[in-house]
Amino acid sequence: MGYLALAVVSGLAAVERKGFLQAMLSRPIALGPIAGLALGDVRSGLYVGVPLELLWLGAVNLGAALPVHEALGTAAAAGATVLAARALQPSGLAGPMLLPAVAVLAVAACAPLASLGRCADRMVERWNERLYALAEQDLARGHAAAAARTNLYGLVLPFAISFVLAPLGAAVAAALIPLVLSRAPSLVVPLGLGWVAFNGLACASGARAMRGPRAPAFYFGALVLGIALATVTALAGGGA
Amino acid sequence: MIATVPRAVLAACFWRSLFLQAAWNRRGMQNLGFAYAIYPALRVLYPDPGRRAQALSRHLGFFNCHPYTAAAIVGGVIHHEERVAAGAEPPAGPEAYKTTLQGPLAAIGDGFFWTALRPFFGALAALGALLFGWPAVVAALTMYNAIHLAFRIGLFRAGYRQGDAVVGALARLALPVAAGHLRVAGAALCGFCAAAVVVHAAAMPRPSSVLVAVLAATVGYVVLARGARLLPTAYAAIMAGVGAALVVGRFQGSP
Repeated sequence: MGYLALAVVSGLAAVERKGFLQAMLSRPIALGPIAGLALGDVRSGLYVGVPLELLWLGAVNLGAALPVHEALGTAAAAGATVLAARALQPSGLAGPMLLPAVAVLAVAACAPLASLGRCADRMVERWNERLYALAEQDLARGHAAAAARTNLYGLVLPFAISFVLAPLGAAVAAALIPLVLSRAPSLVVPLGLGWVAFNGLACASGARAMRGPRAPAFYFGALVLGIALATVTALAGGGA
Repeated sequence: MIATVPRAVLAACFWRSLFLQAAWNRRGMQNLGFAYAIYPALRVLYPDPGRRAQALSRHLGFFNCHPYTAAAIVGGVIHHEERVAAGAEPPAGPEAYKTTLQGPLAAIGDGFFWTALRPFFGALAALGALLFGWPAVVAALTMYNAIHLAFRIGLFRAGYRQGDAVVGALARLALPVAAGHLRVAGAALCGFCAAAVVVHAAAMPRPSSVLVAVLAATVGYVVLARGARLLPTAYAAIMAGVGAALVVGRFQGSP
């Protein structure tokens, strides 16, 4: 049932991403926790959704240029994180670095699906030219309403592609991750640091997406200010 | 006497405009979506099936615009089709309107929504999630969609009521200036996100976590600014973090 729920969520996200509404519901920051909710763990879904949102902040569809399919990558990674973490519960592996370790492996395994999704998008665009031809034929036969309705058939293929690929990617990653971590538990802490590095890079990627000459100054300035504020707060709290 | 499209039909056209990109294709781009959106109005304006098919064929031609700002063109085309149906305008009028406006409105939409407003709210939601959890995401997305839908509905109505004058109305909003402010604010939000990552790293059992976080957030920015590809850089960052932990662990003698 969990995989079916993930498949439906992923398919709907693929539709919302381009075919209908575009209200940020297919963005990683929303889709991560929604995919997690579908599998019964919002927190783990959000844990993955936050850095993926920042990483892919610049993934935008400008004109005919196609970005990576961030929704497909996110749904698979969030699903893999939730399922792998759940599979590891009986293993005895625990600690604050376990979820980061699981998350980084899930992202590493599923991120390429985003690039695969872009290839699928190109294929869908070529397929949709057949719908255009179908609409012209309907119009030539005098079936104007049917010609107009052809537009909706374009929602089917993106839904189906994500419906299949997201749970498949999550399943493969969720099977491999517990295998890796249970056979090499000493990798948990290093992988946790890998997750920290990934999060740091994701923030940098988000800032890079904010194109503009003053963006770097504001990014580094806020980074320094944020660390200073946190340090002062911690010291003040420690002294009190 | 120019017949007007009933409000319920206008609402149907607006709803259908949300599916503008459903069948995006390289040949006509958003043409199928536009024809789908405009059809309820054409059904009312052209009771004769032959004239209706002729009108729809005008809107199966090439069309490409930002999905939000395209609402202005959908509304404006209905305005023009009302005049065409009454014989007050030549049939080429709506097509000329679409051709003239789609480029500028696409540029405005891409520049404001896709490269400024949406990334800003993405960064805001991310920072909110790091500090307060999922309710912050709900709040950020609610704010974003309040703005997004207000624009879409407002542009549709402006296009329908004002036709060609919608461009002037948009220009008065000074969206490129607002976009510039949103981008620097978004960059700052990403900086605060990086600071939150550093603070969270400080709570981890490995002291080297803080250095890893700071280096990834700073060196990572420089590397990406020099044109490094994103996914390989992400993998490199992960490997660097893992490697750093292994090296430090070996020096400290920990398992």
